[in-house]
Amino acid sequence: MLLTYVDAIRQALAEEMRRDPAVFLLGEDIGIYGGAFKATAGLVDEFGPLRVVDTPLAESAIVGAAIGAAYTGMRPVVEMQFMDFIACCFNQITNFAAKSHYRWGAPVPMVIRGPVGGGVHGGPFHSQNPEMYFAHTPGLKVVEPATARDAYGLLKSAIRDNNPVLFLEHKYLYRRVKDEIAEDGPATPLGLAAVARPGRDLSVITYGAMVHLAVETAAALAAEGIDAEVLDLRTLAPLDRAGIVATAKKTNKVLILHEDTRTGGIAGEITAILQEEAFDDLDAPILRLTSADTPVPFSPPLEAAFLPSAEGLKAALRRLARY
Amino acid sequence: MSVQPQPPISGAAGLTPRQLTHRLRQMLAIREFERLGEQCFRDGLIRGYYHSYAGQEAVGVGFLNALDLSRDYVVDHYRDHGHCLLLGLDPEQIFAELFGRATGVSKGKGGSMHMYSPERHFLGGDGIVGGGLSVACGVGLALKRRANDPICVCFFGDGALDTGTFHESMNLASLWSVPTLYVCINNLYSMGTRVEDHSSLSQLVDRAQGYGVKTEQVDGQDVFATTAAAERIYQYMRQTKRPYFVEALTYRYQGHGIHDKALNYRTEQEEAQWHSRDPIQLLAAHLITEKILSAQQIEDLRQQIVAELQAKVERAKQAPQPDDAELKQDVLA
Ligand SMILES: Cc1ncc(C[n+]2csc(CCOP(=O)(O)OP(=O)(O)O)c2C)c(N)n1
Ligand SMILES: [Mg+2]
Repeated sequence: MLLTYVDAIRQALAEEMRRDPAVFLLGEDIGIYGGAFKATAGLVDEFGPLRVVDTPLAESAIVGAAIGAAYTGMRPVVEMQFMDFIACCFNQITNFAAKSHYRWGAPVPMVIRGPVGGGVHGGPFHSQNPEMYFAHTPGLKVVEPATARDAYGLLKSAIRDNNPVLFLEHKYLYRRVKDEIAEDGPATPLGLAAVARPGRDLSVITYGAMVHLAVETAAALAAEGIDAEVLDLRTLAPLDRAGIVATAKKTNKVLILHEDTRTGGIAGEITAILQEEAFDDLDAPILRLTSADTPVPFSPPLEAAFLPSAEGLKAALRRLARY
Repeated sequence: MSVQPQPPISGAAGLTPRQLTHRLRQMLAIREFERLGEQCFRDGLIRGYYHSYAGQEAVGVGFLNALDLSRDYVVDHYRDHGHCLLLGLDPEQIFAELFGRATGVSKGKGGSMHMYSPERHFLGGDGIVGGGLSVACGVGLALKRRANDPICVCFFGDGALDTGTFHESMNLASLWSVPTLYVCINNLYSMGTRVEDHSSLSQLVDRAQGYGVKTEQVDGQDVFATTAAAERIYQYMRQTKRPYFVEALTYRYQGHGIHDKALNYRTEQEEAQWHSRDPIQLLAAHLITEKILSAQQIEDLRQQIVAELQAKVERAKQAPQPDDAELKQDVLA
């Protein structure tokens, strides 16, 4: 089947629900409304309201309830209508879900999934990238697919995982990317990066919607004789340290690209890993291209100035190639 | 505009013919603003999201006209265009904000859900549901210490009642005894979820009563009812410095937002029922019966409002885009 990113998510949810009766969905407007982005459209018809649970607008209680259900043998998948609202259940996630296993040995097999990211003019509260609040918190996994195939395969793994997994879906990609996906296809393991484009001269390490910016920019730069490799992290926690080090050792030049804001973004962490594990292999300073350290502005031209751009990436990669 | 016979509404609430005409004008302006705004969205002038206030006009008109903006404050949720108009923000600047322009009320940085005007004592629309409720406690706390008996009015939907913040805020407002009015605009839906399916109690007022807050239900289609309730409640609050909770029963005509087109969670019959008690038509019928305005005069008024708003749209279209340097301004005070 040729599925868009959002269709791939729905497909993975449906297959996991058919496979395992412990899996159920809860979230705001996910039943007859089908979710704000229609990720769960039609699922209530197949699985009924006990497995596709429309909740009140109460993120903290929704996540708390999912944790309790997970303690007692269920595998809840919570939809955050926009990941920006996850701030409303920060305590439930970072204290309860993240620290249950370490405190008590109690696993929390739960997924919190929903849309992140900008580029669709959602303004300050409907565009954010909250991954680093959670990547910073031991006890959580954080995943962000860039392709429909990975959205499908990684979501399956996330649902089967015995840990709380934050599954960040880039809303810009929902209907813009597609892949051929086989029914009941394989789950894609968490924690492994993937080479989205092989190259020899330098590496762009990135994830989410920025993978597409990187691949397109790399294709454009090929005409200038710059052969860029693009590494798609896919999972931010745990990070694929080996994959990161391998690409650096291969090309000896690294740029880290992310849509998240700059300070405290994953670029800083990756830079530190490379200093620790690949310092002698680097032929150039590690560069980073990120969103600005500001809230996400609504105004389309300001949002464009906020986000990393193709032009900015080209310039940075040319600079890196010159070393 | 054709005016059908309507079930009676509650009388003129002591308003003069001039005041009644003004309220009709305000309601028409909101309705036509939203119509134009949605057209601008379809034309690509507005990006992102758009939440229309059409159908709910009598709530804002009743509760905002009765305020004294020289001393009182308003805290709003994201369905905020109608309230902005009623508070006297310039429609040109509201459109400019919707277009993301530098001259918008929030310099284009906030957009549809994040209007703001300190001059008009409007402490913002807010895209996080429930976010304003506790803020309104703090506003009430500060206002209570002022000499001239100011009050705060906080608007939110039925969906916001389900947040923890609602309960924390009711308790705080009552405990601290702050002059904040909580106006729950119950339009029967939290996005695509009916109130019976999201609220444990069907009478929303019951959910505030547990905190010792006075409550009442008001017909949100009837501008006389909202006006009378507002005046009575504000007087009580100015005297007692106590919070108050109102459930205004109304209906949003459009989808939750402009992208909500299927409307498969509600019936056409229900929509028709609410349209048959349209707040504008109810007031118009009263004005015609009382011979204050003729149907033709009302239609002329509507057309005049449309023309005025269209001129505002045209001017807002000419407004400059913010320059890139604006991106990094205002992050810190
Ligand atoms: C904390 C939070 N959760 C979810 C949302 C998404 N959302 C926006 S409006 C809305 C429904 C709110 O309904 P209600 O409060 O009744 O207001 P109405 O839209 O009817 O005016 C939802 C679920 C949000 N903006 N903020
Ligand atoms: Mg509502």
